[in-house]
Amino acid sequence: MVAAFGSMANLGGDPAELAGARLQPPSPEHWLGTDHLGRSLVPRLLEGVGVTLLLSSIAVLATAVLSTALGILAGYAGGALNDLVMRLVELLYAFPSIVLAILVAAVVGPGRPAAMAAIVLVTIPLMTRLVRAASAAVSQRDYVTSAIVSGVRLPKILVRHVLPNVSGTIAVQGTYALSVGILVEGGLSFLGLGVQPPQASLGVLIQEGGVYMVAAPWLIIAPGVVLILAILSINVVGDGLRDRFEPRETRSLR
Amino acid sequence: MRLFSWWIRRALGAAATLVGVSILVFLALRAMPGGFAETILGPFASEEQQRELAQRYGLDDSALAQYWLWLQAALGGDFGTSMISQEPVADELSSRLPVTGQLAVMAVLAAVFIGVPLGVLTAVRARADGGGTVGRLLSGLGVSLPEFVLGSIVVFLFSRYALGLSVGGYVPFGDDPAANLRAMILPAAVLSVFAISATARTTRDAVLNVLVEPYVTAAVARGESPAFIIRHHILRNAAAPVVVLITTITAYLLGGAIIVEYLFNLPGIGSYVVQAVGRRDYAVVQAGVLLAAAVFIVLNVVADLLVGLIDPRLGVTATGRQT
Repeated sequence: MVAAFGSMANLGGDPAELAGARLQPPSPEHWLGTDHLGRSLVPRLLEGVGVTLLLSSIAVLATAVLSTALGILAGYAGGALNDLVMRLVELLYAFPSIVLAILVAAVVGPGRPAAMAAIVLVTIPLMTRLVRAASAAVSQRDYVTSAIVSGVRLPKILVRHVLPNVSGTIAVQGTYALSVGILVEGGLSFLGLGVQPPQASLGVLIQEGGVYMVAAPWLIIAPGVVLILAILSINVVGDGLRDRFEPRETRSLR
Repeated sequence: MRLFSWWIRRALGAAATLVGVSILVFLALRAMPGGFAETILGPFASEEQQRELAQRYGLDDSALAQYWLWLQAALGGDFGTSMISQEPVADELSSRLPVTGQLAVMAVLAAVFIGVPLGVLTAVRARADGGGTVGRLLSGLGVSLPEFVLGSIVVFLFSRYALGLSVGGYVPFGDDPAANLRAMILPAAVLSVFAISATARTTRDAVLNVLVEPYVTAAVARGESPAFIIRHHILRNAAAPVVVLITTITAYLLGGAIIVEYLFNLPGIGSYVVQAVGRRDYAVVQAGVLLAAAVFIVLNVVADLLVGLIDPRLGVTATGRQT
């Protein structure tokens, strides 16, 4: 992850540049070879990683904000508001994720906005559910009751007393949502409905690589490996955060 | 009595969700740029031709009237006909269900018979030796391996080097079981990697949580054999989250493993629905998504009931755990 961000900044090269012959295997000038239009894969890959991570991060941020607001309110208030939010969430949850993403892409039109909207809609149900559960549990605690009794106003209770205590859940789920987001972007772009070429993203590169797999297998191996590493490292961070915030998990390992 | 009212509430909730899903899909379909008439007739059709086609399928009625018509028919079990093939949607879906179903069954069986033992093993061995770490790393890698990457690579390897299994060329199981399995084993394997890894991880977490319970320590102190402890004390207490995960995976797979079906050119439900979205074949998308949502809801109920059977403390009629 760090490597991906770092290299994006300095190791540039023009991704669109026709650097050499088509479908060349890796060589000293083009470390990862060239693609079907003669573009060097290294800058394409860097652009692709950047686009994918940026898209997914923005989308997951949006998910986090929305889920946090909805989840905390629903968990704290309970009653009718809780029922309404949970019904909506269940509605989205009932859609298979790729079908949902494809419907979104068809409505918005293929492209980056579609990929982002799809990621938000796919990741929002689970996160809202878990934040709500955490918030409901926290809202029963004595310090919340005493805050209510001493006349603290509602927004302040939510922000000062409830939010900090569900932030662990948000961080853990946000991390997992990021890896789901990358997968959704990849799948959607792979089907030709997400990011559109010539713009590169990991999904686009893998799809292009798949077409020329027989003649130039390096075109799919490099982005594939990068994608797997990205998701793997995000999941590891997620596991780490979870072990920290949910101590029951680590108790047995000590 | 409490169970009865639970069923009523559950059924009402399911019905509301299904109606909600159908409305959402309906709205999404009508909001897509390029309606059915435009998509079918192409860019050179005259306004008049478009209007005529729209009229034939009742697409010139108001959206509300269209939805009402669809809802009435759907409640009577009639999901309309495909506007492309003119075949009843229900027939087409049921002819494709075996493909999707077979894929799902194969992957879920792999998850149960490989994923669960793997998870138990990595949890029990967590401190003993390196085996736990290796298993943990492998399952971590498995859940990070997207099916479009793995699938592409598998398609490449097997279509290039002809390793005795076929890519594509689906044959119904009834016609030729051997050819069917040859065509299905690769896509099922691609799906299994995720199913097995996710199951192994969840099982491992669940078992680790049970391992710290006092009754396990007590059993060890009594000198019971490890195999007996696992069977008698651990499996049942760790089962709930695993059951929930496996039913979720099943629902996901039955909704159509779209990318795998697309890669391996299988005539399943997922590829059918995706194709229909592209062609604006409204009735097909509507029915396909509804089917997936219904499967999801039913399996959720099944998961709740199973969890209740395994551990009555968590059952649907359990009290004292409100909120």
